[in-house]
Amino acid sequence: MNIINKVKDLDRKLDCFITVDEKSKPLCEGKLSGYTVSVKDCFCTNGLRTTAGSKILENYIPLFDATVVEKVKNEGGLIIGKTAMDEFGFGTFSANCAYKIPKNPWDLNRSCGGSSGGAGCISAVLEKHIAVAESTGGSISAPASFTGTVGITPTYGRCSRWGLLAYANSLDKPGIIAGNVKDAALGLSIIAGYDEKDSTSINEKVPDYTKSCRTNLKGIKIGIPKEYLSEGIDEKVKSHFYKAVETLESLGAKTEKVSLPMTKYALSSYYIIAVSEASTNLAKYCGIRYGATLPLKGNFDEFASKVRTKYFGEEAKRRIMLGTFTRMSGYRDAYYLKAMKIRQMIIDDFKKAFKKVDVLASPTMPVIAPRFDEISKLTPLQNWAMDILTVAPNLAGIPMISVPCGFADNMPVGLHIIGNHLDESKLIHTAYAYEQKANLNRGAEI
Amino acid sequence: MIGLEIHVQLATKSKMFCRCPTGYDESKPNTATCSICLGLPGSLPVFNKKVLDYAVKLSMALNCTFPKETYFSRKIYFYPDMGKNFQITQNESPLSRNGYIEIDLNGKKKKIRIRRVHMEEDPAKLIHIGKITDAKYTLMDYNRSGMPLCEIVTEPDMESPEEARIFMNKLNSILQHLGIFNPDFCTIKADANVSIEGGERVEVKNISGFKSIEAALKYEIERQNKEMKSSGKIERETRHFETETGTTHTLRKKEAEADYGYIFEPDLPVITLETDYLAKMRDVLPELPDARAKRIHEQYKLDKSVADTIVLDKHLADFFEECAKKIKNYELLANWVLGDLLKCINYNSITINDVSKNGFMELMEFIEKEKISPRQAKEVIKVFVEKGTSPKEIVKKMGGEAITNDKEIEAVVKKVLEKNKKAVDDYERGNENSFNFLFGQVMRETKSRAHPDIVRRVLKKLL
Repeated sequence: MNIINKVKDLDRKLDCFITVDEKSKPLCEGKLSGYTVSVKDCFCTNGLRTTAGSKILENYIPLFDATVVEKVKNEGGLIIGKTAMDEFGFGTFSANCAYKIPKNPWDLNRSCGGSSGGAGCISAVLEKHIAVAESTGGSISAPASFTGTVGITPTYGRCSRWGLLAYANSLDKPGIIAGNVKDAALGLSIIAGYDEKDSTSINEKVPDYTKSCRTNLKGIKIGIPKEYLSEGIDEKVKSHFYKAVETLESLGAKTEKVSLPMTKYALSSYYIIAVSEASTNLAKYCGIRYGATLPLKGNFDEFASKVRTKYFGEEAKRRIMLGTFTRMSGYRDAYYLKAMKIRQMIIDDFKKAFKKVDVLASPTMPVIAPRFDEISKLTPLQNWAMDILTVAPNLAGIPMISVPCGFADNMPVGLHIIGNHLDESKLIHTAYAYEQKANLNRGAEI
Repeated sequence: MIGLEIHVQLATKSKMFCRCPTGYDESKPNTATCSICLGLPGSLPVFNKKVLDYAVKLSMALNCTFPKETYFSRKIYFYPDMGKNFQITQNESPLSRNGYIEIDLNGKKKKIRIRRVHMEEDPAKLIHIGKITDAKYTLMDYNRSGMPLCEIVTEPDMESPEEARIFMNKLNSILQHLGIFNPDFCTIKADANVSIEGGERVEVKNISGFKSIEAALKYEIERQNKEMKSSGKIERETRHFETETGTTHTLRKKEAEADYGYIFEPDLPVITLETDYLAKMRDVLPELPDARAKRIHEQYKLDKSVADTIVLDKHLADFFEECAKKIKNYELLANWVLGDLLKCINYNSITINDVSKNGFMELMEFIEKEKISPRQAKEVIKVFVEKGTSPKEIVKKMGGEAITNDKEIEAVVKKVLEKNKKAVDDYERGNENSFNFLFGQVMRETKSRAHPDIVRRVLKKLL
């Protein structure tokens, strides 16, 4: 069967693509020849519809490629389509998508995680596939954990954000989801690098991360943050995690407990910063220059309000309102500015920890992928609490990787390894060694 | 009390955050645009370092102090002139603060304090069909979107529209000397905060150019005085200045301080103002108007006020100094430059740069060496400025150089006295006016070529 037909067939069952590119052809030969590549729908693809999971961009066709997309194309990647996501990345289960809600290939009644849900989903069922994804507060780690795939969120600034439809600019990080560590490392080697079009990108040489795929962990010190194993973490998830720690030790790694005392403030600090920035990024969508619109009527404010009311989803509206509140004068000091200060303290927490250890390890998500009927009962706050283990490293802008570490109730569980600034190589090394030994990666049967 | 917020477009080659040209064609809307200045999804701003150089130089010329670090903020408000519905500007961390400009009020010096200088992007241009207050629809031209701006905020230190005008003239001269403002494609706009005794502060927006400021303020103060007399109070409001009619109109009544929900601009890194960088900028700072006026006063032995006036227009000062290399009677030169030359330039609506230096120096040589009479010179300069013909040609056409020869003049005087016996009689009876009449006749006879001093002397002698 031709690959595009296979993808369309999978998409019919799993709802993981917003747009499948039937006419796609590789531009050239390169490191990605033979691979299929999917791109999260928040990255601009020249001439190919890009919606960020929102109705407000239903027919938006960008005029340029995101830098990461361009890099994939230049390495011969065959881009098969744009993967489903929570609207503008606002979610942990991809259930806030205005188009399709991707189904977990391990159990179609369960979520793939989010917001890069489509990316996790397709990576779980398609071999030799690399998914270009994006994380703001855990949007790569969550779906990787729930779908039994490998997700790398690199250091903030390691990959260019040019062409990324912004959620929260100071947190957004392009990254990779793939079926195994080696493919994820290959993907990252390609999309990483300085870009003069993104002033926040880091001007440091990119190593070939695939060369870090080594199996001996001798000399590696792994810290286990005690705050990441408190209540609220599912016992089955915890026990798989402790087994994983044993495996890591068996490979020569030393483990020790560390403390990240600012952890309890991470969630609120993260959400305040994220919604503050998001509410400004979403201001541009007003039906005037592009995207969904309505017949011109009333003055500018009335018109813009109507367009935004009609086309933004509920979660987007919630975050716009919250974000407008957190930066209003009178509240700005108590929320936005305080959150920015806490962010710095969280960074200091990690800096301190990395003086003692090479990497940190924890479960990726506190639970296995929830069922959609469970998700619909969650309050927004319970929903946001799912990000408890991923938001702190995302706030700090440090890299992380999620690898499968077992199955609970036949659903994958993820091991999260967090590294110091620009220490992607160490993460890949640790994750690869673990993956080879644990031998738990297997594609979902569909 | 008057305080000004002045927006100066900077003459960099490209826009503030993208590579689009700043010198775009006004007649072709939306042609100098890209994904960045249109604010398309996925685009990111990249700061044009030249904008920083220019703004730093301006801050230095305004005697401001710099922080160690400065950064951009997002100012969020929904308006169609902004592609992103937020403006990249500076809020709590302006580029510089606490400066001043010294102005001259009839010989008295006064410092107008500068509160802050910050950098921001210009929004797009909106063209309202009809008036801003009742237009049915609005056209948008994004050529201007992303043009680099410096906003200069003064303290409310000006006490009259005249002071504001003098301040703006001085600022104009500073901008010209710095070479960061090009009137061919840059605009300058001011918002003025005006309050009179007992009234609340009124903001007048949209005062364009250097010239409208005085008119706008005069109108507004007059209006407030009338209002105060009739209703006893001035309400807080924002008004719009209409250039065409020279009047101001209510835009928004009595609103609370607008809430722009500022956040730090996360797409742009913090700018560190390194000591080395600032020192380098200070090194390349050109001579500024105050220093130049002082030098011109000393070097050419001109009155301080004359020197001050000359440097108000950099190009005029350049012109003067160029000519002064050859014309050594500096006072005479200054008089002609500031007098007839300026008058003719204004009359013809041209600029000093349109006037040929060599041509003017030729004319000045004639005057300096008294080869033509002042009267002749006044005629010659008119033709010279308007048509650009060389003064030598003009003088030739007018019948030649000045007559300075007593004998030649005597002949003409005799002829005139012959012809005007009645006037001669009147003069003898003590009518002084007759002398002037006879003098005029001699000048007419010689087509103003006769030197007036000699004519007077000869006339007196022969009468």
